[in-house]
Amino acid sequence: MKALTANRLNDGEVVFWRKGQWVEQFADADLFADEDPAAEAAEGHAKNQPGVVVEPYLIDLVESAGLWAPLSYRERIRALGPTNLAHGKQTRGGAAIEALLHAHGAARSSGRVDLIKRK
Amino acid sequence: MYRYDTIDKDMLADRTAEFRGQVARRLAGELTEDQFKPLRLRNGLYLQLHAYMLRIAIPYGSLNPVQLRKLAWIGRTYDKGYGHFTTRTNLQFHWIKLADAPDIVDALASVDMHAIQTSGNCIRNVTADPYAGATAEEIDDPRVWAEAIRQWSTVHPEFNWLPRKFKIAVTAAARDRTAAKTHDIGLNLKRSRDGTLGFEVMVGGGLGRAPHIAQTIRQFLPATRLFSYLEAILRVYNRHGRRDNIHKARIKVLVATLGREAFASQVEAEWEKIGQTPDLPDHELARIRGAFAPMSFATLPPVSEAFEAAKLGDPALARFARNNLKPHKVAGYSIVEVSLKAIGATPGDMTSDQMDVVADLAEAFGQGDIRVTHEQNLVLPHIKLDDVAVVWARLAKAGLATPNMNLVSDIIACPGLDYCALANARAISVAQHIARKFAEPDRAERVGELKIKISGCINACGHHHVGHIGILGVDKKGEEFYQLTLGGSGAEDAAVGQALGPALPYDKVADAIDTLVDVYLRERHDGERFLDTFRRTGVAPFKEAVYADVD
Repeated sequence: MKALTANRLNDGEVVFWRKGQWVEQFADADLFADEDPAAEAAEGHAKNQPGVVVEPYLIDLVESAGLWAPLSYRERIRALGPTNLAHGKQTRGGAAIEALLHAHGAARSSGRVDLIKRK
Repeated sequence: MYRYDTIDKDMLADRTAEFRGQVARRLAGELTEDQFKPLRLRNGLYLQLHAYMLRIAIPYGSLNPVQLRKLAWIGRTYDKGYGHFTTRTNLQFHWIKLADAPDIVDALASVDMHAIQTSGNCIRNVTADPYAGATAEEIDDPRVWAEAIRQWSTVHPEFNWLPRKFKIAVTAAARDRTAAKTHDIGLNLKRSRDGTLGFEVMVGGGLGRAPHIAQTIRQFLPATRLFSYLEAILRVYNRHGRRDNIHKARIKVLVATLGREAFASQVEAEWEKIGQTPDLPDHELARIRGAFAPMSFATLPPVSEAFEAAKLGDPALARFARNNLKPHKVAGYSIVEVSLKAIGATPGDMTSDQMDVVADLAEAFGQGDIRVTHEQNLVLPHIKLDDVAVVWARLAKAGLATPNMNLVSDIIACPGLDYCALANARAISVAQHIARKFAEPDRAERVGELKIKISGCINACGHHHVGHIGILGVDKKGEEFYQLTLGGSGAEDAAVGQALGPALPYDKVADAIDTLVDVYLRERHDGERFLDTFRRTGVAPFKEAVYADVD
């Protein structure tokens, strides 16, 4: 599975794609099946919003506690907030946050799809 | 302390107005991110994992209470109520909104501060001995020269687009508290036999991917010729630095490639061309020096009976005094180190409320003088011994009196993967785990001086190469691993650490540090620091113990 993420231009907030809008919580994000062409279509739409978000990209997901979580710890930290102080998105709590907190395993350092190709 | 004159203020007003316009154009869609990014970076504004980060310059780590209160106010108004002091003695706010940034830089300008040249391939914030003006060890006040370099290097047109970033440190004491030998240029003030003031000029130090210790290219440069000589060094670098390869673009690579003597002779040849005119007019030097005129110190006995009695009555105060007080050049005064390394806290983080406490203490007891150290602590450089007990009590109440200066829990850590877009692994939480292991202060004191430095990536903002124990976070197949190095030093005996062995997983690092400390305690001879023992025994006993445990 995949999700689409970016940082919002005006405040830098980590945001996720949901039905053509940007939402702040990973739990609210649209999830795309690996081969779903809608993922790249959404990324294409996002890239045409340079006045809304900065550098949108797809991330790989992994199953955790029956829910989906970003594959890489970098993306989990983006979705949760820093680990040294609980003053990021993790303060919202709930099952989705718990799933992110307990996720582990990462096959790619950034969890970012096609990172090498992009570079 | 130096205060901005009209030239400084006018320049800053122009820059803040220009930046406001740039941000407005970006938000209005008139600038693309590719166009805007170099402009915001020129003003210290990065986009990191969770938000924008604003890096504010604190020239030679010197702050007055008005400035620190303004930083506190910015933290409270525009961030989450805190800031993070860095190894360049800068302050970073990690939760900044782009739309607020112009108002923040206006607020900074109102107290003679800015974020210019805290990013980009230019001369960065100049650092100096945090004990300047307070220690008897110094030959001259290094702030005078650091301020002159600040003025010379700020928006210097010739050196605003160097091959890579460029860092200068100035120290005037035999004991180096600036990590001068890890800088592109380290300047060590000296006095010749006839009393002339000059500099030992060290060039080509740097950490990052390829660590180098700076090499001396001139044992004694007359101080009157400092700027023409700096200009000559930078011209040689500007001409020959590797602009084609970012990993080889720092001056350290040029110096290492050419060799010290060849590099030095190119500098000398360039210097010849500049000519023999004195390059910092006497009246300018006098003007700057006047801003750092010796303070009016009271005539006091060298021992404060009240303080001695207070220490006898309070072991916690006595412990603070042992670890956080340093000798002052004037009898009856002390340099007081303010620890930003409370056990389990984030190294270098300071809340807005804590900033206000230190500003108040500096104003009430410390001649309005506050310093930031490259080891991510603060210093109140001029506290009367008679006042130490009350200062300590107020620091302790604010969580700022941890008695751990230079001890195992006084750890340097970069923001790492918790905040930084470049990082591969976390640094802060590793520091938190280690500090908790050594929370018991008697044990920490028994271990003695031990400098642990942690970086979350090879860029080495946490100075891991020069830690007595260095810890580098790496990414191994998507998991956080940590490479340990031993025997580094950023002080006058500067050295790059030696690798211990294969990288360790995240949850094994604090245990490994515990093991390294046990080996040191077992092996040490009387009076030896961890570093001394390592230098005598080599890596073998440490390696054997750590990897035996891991297996």
